[in-house]
Amino acid sequence: MRILTIVFQICILYIFSYIGTVIQNFFDLIIPGSIIGLLLLFTCLCLKIVPVKWIEDGAVFLLRLLMLFFIPTTVGVMNYASLLSLHGALFILAVLASTIISIAITGTAGQFFEKKAQKRKDEKECSKFHSHSA
Amino acid sequence: MQQVPLAFGMILLTVFAYLAMARIYKRYSYSVLIPVLTATTLIIIVLSLFQIPYERYMIGGQWISSLLGPSVVALAYPLYKQRHFLRDHLLPILGGVFVGASSGMVTVALLAKVFGVKQSLALSIIPKSLTTPVAIEVAKGIGGNASLAVVGVMIAGIFGAIAAPSIFKLLRVHSPLGRGIALGSASHAIGTAKAAEYGELTFSMSSVTMALSAIIGSVLGPIVVWVFHM
Repeated sequence: MRILTIVFQICILYIFSYIGTVIQNFFDLIIPGSIIGLLLLFTCLCLKIVPVKWIEDGAVFLLRLLMLFFIPTTVGVMNYASLLSLHGALFILAVLASTIISIAITGTAGQFFEKKAQKRKDEKECSKFHSHSA
Repeated sequence: MQQVPLAFGMILLTVFAYLAMARIYKRYSYSVLIPVLTATTLIIIVLSLFQIPYERYMIGGQWISSLLGPSVVALAYPLYKQRHFLRDHLLPILGGVFVGASSGMVTVALLAKVFGVKQSLALSIIPKSLTTPVAIEVAKGIGGNASLAVVGVMIAGIFGAIAAPSIFKLLRVHSPLGRGIALGSASHAIGTAKAAEYGELTFSMSSVTMALSAIIGSVLGPIVVWVFHM
C-alpha cells in the first residue's frame, strides 16, 4: 500500500515537472522545466492548492535517493578521456580552484549577512522595548 | 529485443553500485567516499571491462536519469516546510545567493584566463556551478560545448561536496544559511544532496539557492563572457 502511495505521488511530481517543461518550451525560456515545476509546486503548496499530504511520501523517497539519479550523467565523463591532457588538466584545475574559492566566499558572506540581519532585528526589538518602557 | 535485458542490467548495475557505495559511505563517512564519485568510478570500470560504450549504458541509464525532473520538483517540499524561515531571512538569502552565483562565474572566468585554457573549453565551464540542464543551455548560448559543460558541472558538483566540509571548518562557517547557500551555489544539486547531511534547514537553503542560481546564472553568464572578452 505504501509503495503504491509513493508511486502515485511520484506521478504527481512528474506531472509538475512536465508542466514546467511545457511552460519552458512555450515561452522559450532558458530556465529548465524542472526548476519551473519546483517553483510551481512550491506556490501550489503555499496557496494550499495541493495539500502537502499528496506529495510528502513521494518527495521524501526521491530526495533520499537524489544522488543516484545523477550517476548515469556523471558516468558520461568516460567519453572524455581527452581531458587527461595538459589542456584538460588546466580545465579541471580551473573548475576545482574556482569551486573552492566560491564556496569559501559564499559561505563566509552568507554567514555574515545572516548575523547582520539578526543584529538589526535584535536592535529593532531592543528599541521597541525601550520606547515601550519610556 | 536484446535491448530490454541490457537496459535492465544497466539499471541493476547502477542501483547496486549506488546502494553498495552509499553503505560504505555511511560506515566510514569520509567525504571522498561520496557515492556519486565512488559509484560512478565503479560503473566506469565495469563498463570498460566489458567494453560497453556509454551510449549503450544509457539505454538503461536514461530511466534512472528520467527521475531527475520529479526529484528537482520534490525539492519544493523541504522548501515549503521552511517557508517561514525563508520569509524571515529573505534579504540575507538573496544577498548570499547573488554573491555565490557571481563568484562562481567570475572566478572560473578569471582562472581560465590566467591558466590559458583554450577559449572553447573556457566558455564551456563558465556555467559549471549551475544545475546540469541550465548549464547546458547557458553554455550553448555563449558558444561553449554542451557535453564539456556537463563534465565541468559534474566536477564542480562532486569536488564541491567533497571539499566543502573542510572549507567550512577552516573558515568557521557554522550557520545553516551560509553552508546551504555555499553548497547550492557552487555545487548545485550534488551540493544540495550533500547539504542534507547537515540537516533540513541547510538542505532547504541549498535547494533555494540552486533554483535561484539557475535563474540568476542564465542572465549572468553572457554578461561575464562579455566583461572578460572571451
